[in-house]
Amino acid sequence: MSQRKEMVFVVDDDARVREAINELLESLGWQSETFAAAADYVAYAKPDLPACLILDVELPDINGLEFQKQLSDDVHPPIVFITGHGDIPSSVRAIQGGAVDFLTKPVGENDLVAAVRAAIDRDRIQRSARAELSELARRLAALTPREREVLPLVVSGLLNKQAAAELGISEITLEIHRSKIMHKMRAESLADLVRIAEKLRIPITHSRRSGSLQECPTRSP
Amino acid sequence: MAELNYRMISPSQTSIESGIRSLEGPEVCFAGQEQLIMPIEIEVHKPVEETLRDREHELSQLINMVPSHLWRLTPEGEPTFFNKRMVDFLGLDVPDMDKPGISRLEAVIETVHPHEAAEFRDTLNRCLVTGEHFTMRYRLRRADGVYRWMSSRAEPMRDPGGHIVQWYGLCHDIDDQMHAEEALRQSERQLQQMIDAVPVRIWSVTSMDGPVYFNKRYQDHFRAVIPDFEAIEEPRIETLLQELICPEDAPEVQRTLLNCFESGRGTVMRFRWLEKDGAYRWAECRVEPRRDQDGTIVQWYGVSLDIDDEVRAQEALRNRERELSLLVDMVPSNLWRLTPDGETTLANKHMADFLGVDLEDKRQLAVVFDAIFHPDDVDAVSDVLGRCLKTGELFSMKYRLRRHDGVYRWMSGRAEPLRAPDGRIAQWFGLCHDIDDQVHAEEALRRASEQLARATQAASLAELSASIAHEVNQPLAAIVANSHACHRWLSAEPPNVERAKITAERITRDANSAADVVSRIRALFRQAPRARSSENINHLIGEVCQLMADGIAAKGIRIETNLEPDLPSVALDRVQVQQVFVNLVRNGVEAMDGAIVDGARALQISSLRDGNDAIRIEVRDAGTGFEDTESVFQPFFTTKQHGMGMGLAICRSIIESHGGRLWMANNETRGATVAFTLPLEASEAP
Repeated sequence: MSQRKEMVFVVDDDARVREAINELLESLGWQSETFAAAADYVAYAKPDLPACLILDVELPDINGLEFQKQLSDDVHPPIVFITGHGDIPSSVRAIQGGAVDFLTKPVGENDLVAAVRAAIDRDRIQRSARAELSELARRLAALTPREREVLPLVVSGLLNKQAAAELGISEITLEIHRSKIMHKMRAESLADLVRIAEKLRIPITHSRRSGSLQECPTRSP
Repeated sequence: MAELNYRMISPSQTSIESGIRSLEGPEVCFAGQEQLIMPIEIEVHKPVEETLRDREHELSQLINMVPSHLWRLTPEGEPTFFNKRMVDFLGLDVPDMDKPGISRLEAVIETVHPHEAAEFRDTLNRCLVTGEHFTMRYRLRRADGVYRWMSSRAEPMRDPGGHIVQWYGLCHDIDDQMHAEEALRQSERQLQQMIDAVPVRIWSVTSMDGPVYFNKRYQDHFRAVIPDFEAIEEPRIETLLQELICPEDAPEVQRTLLNCFESGRGTVMRFRWLEKDGAYRWAECRVEPRRDQDGTIVQWYGVSLDIDDEVRAQEALRNRERELSLLVDMVPSNLWRLTPDGETTLANKHMADFLGVDLEDKRQLAVVFDAIFHPDDVDAVSDVLGRCLKTGELFSMKYRLRRHDGVYRWMSGRAEPLRAPDGRIAQWFGLCHDIDDQVHAEEALRRASEQLARATQAASLAELSASIAHEVNQPLAAIVANSHACHRWLSAEPPNVERAKITAERITRDANSAADVVSRIRALFRQAPRARSSENINHLIGEVCQLMADGIAAKGIRIETNLEPDLPSVALDRVQVQQVFVNLVRNGVEAMDGAIVDGARALQISSLRDGNDAIRIEVRDAGTGFEDTESVFQPFFTTKQHGMGMGLAICRSIIESHGGRLWMANNETRGATVAFTLPLEASEAP
């Protein structure tokens, strides 16, 4: 079985378990890296691949659940917990903390494979979402200041006339800005642009149905 | 003038004198002769001339021989005759008195002591005028200038017409008598002064009802206390009783005195009397009779002393003594006192009540003390007490004492010696209190604790199973993963036999490891005799170090071994002892890992001979050490966050099942050392 471009990290203080899980993962075609302690894992320079972290709950340097909490602030691969004696509160805590699964040793091959696969899939999705977002952010950064002013008005659903009045410019000018925005953001339709704006968390500042227009009298005659 | 030659006899008929008396005036006799003279015989008349001569001679002789001064004055007071003794005394005869310028009388007065001279002159002059008898005492100057006391009398002789014809005087020397009297007075005065000066109150009385003599101090006392003392003419005992003595004590004093006077025996009594500040003070009175030669009581004497301070001091002392005694008796403990030889000399009431002895009977106390200890304790108590008495060290032990009803109760006894200033032991003071209830409570607690321990053991099986699960689970987890991997390698196209082989070997290894854990745990619970093999302990240590080197090195800890070569082999349970090593090494590593240790983080393992019949192994860490090096051996004692606390307890039972010992001590510098011994001659411990 050829090696996939995927990575599995294993942190367990028991050398025998570490060794065996590593063996199993490799036999299943995954690249695997094992660590005896959480600190070793942190220190390791991880390759930019979809990955999964198999984490023993009982670690010598830190409790696995604590470690999960520490990791939550950063970007990290999804976690699959393994434990000698799993208890319900711990597993609930782990899952709530974003863990993919909470497996009890000895871990069966199917469970392990399913968990690892789910974790790596989730990582892949997260990674592509992160990649897309950064591309969109790059496109947004390419807009001119005026275009960045026009964008929220357009995605809020204002008519060109309304948006032009809002900014005190002519409708024609606004249409030019709008067309440039569509091009720069590579939006195929207004709906597409709206979806992109959502991803970029651009706030909807105006509603067509809100009373804001009455409050803001048009400057055009 | 007819005269009568006569002999006379004094009324007492003791002396007979003879003399001549004038027949015309038989009342005229020798001056100074005051006794009536009874003529008893009249002798024949002598011829007048002869008679006169004889009489003259005798008279002259008589006058000069009487041991007194005789003299004669004119009615005007002029001396006309001094007898020879007087002349001798004065060194002057009548004619010598004739001095120019002064009368003879004045010359005589000159010989009188200047102190009495004026009185002498006045008295004599008055007598001369009135004809009264002259009588006076005065000092007269002797020829040598010494004044001597004289007692002098003079009477006038009158003619039939009643006119004074002559004054006849007589004076005799009373100087010695005067001095004796003076001495007597002096002595009396001194006595009086003494009686008045001694700081006691003295009284004397002849009878219960008679007037009482009080010395000055007593009188002063009265004066200060009784407002109208001066109005009391003759103070009596009754006065004392009424005015001075505390009304509560007065009846008793009266009774005592009455008894005393009736029986004729002295007495001592105490009572309170009133003092000038209005307060009563304690006094002691001693009463003694004085008897005359016949033994008849003539006087009673009493001496009263203020003893208030003494009485109050005694009272305070008694009170204190009573309080202390009360305290000693009331403390809810048994108190006792021993001589340095161990003889009991005192026990408090609490103890007497406990033992049921009478405190008054000291003998009983000693006897009882021989039989109060429980037969099982008596030897130990006498050993310890005997040693303490000898060495002076404190006595402290627990023993059972027999109560009066025959029930033995546990006591905690202590005793300390009281030392004299020279360091010798003077007394032993002991205290023991009843701890029977406490002992029984402790025993009950211990039983409960044992039961609890057994229950815990049973209950902990469940908990232990969690621990066991972990111990067994690790190899099992490895086995499962390896077996899946093995299957994968074999199922691969083409099968990876090399990897499959490796994983299969690991499966075997881990399965054995799990099996070992299981049998170790079974051994722990069954404690069944195990097959033992002869092992080289140094090899065993080496294997463990190798086994654990990975994890230890990862923590930056070094293992140093100091193994004595050529140690004899020991018969042991390989798995168990290995488990002990693993446990101790892991503990040591964790202790150092948890501690902030500067310098070398090294775990030292050494093996050496321990005497002829054992070897000793020490595992020395440089961690934090332990607060209590014994409680760590209790099951479930743990300092670790994730430990079960079974490790050291199991280790100890394993070593003990090998007939060895396992102990722990904190190092002097840092960390702790766990050491154990293994006997060379394997002994099968139960």
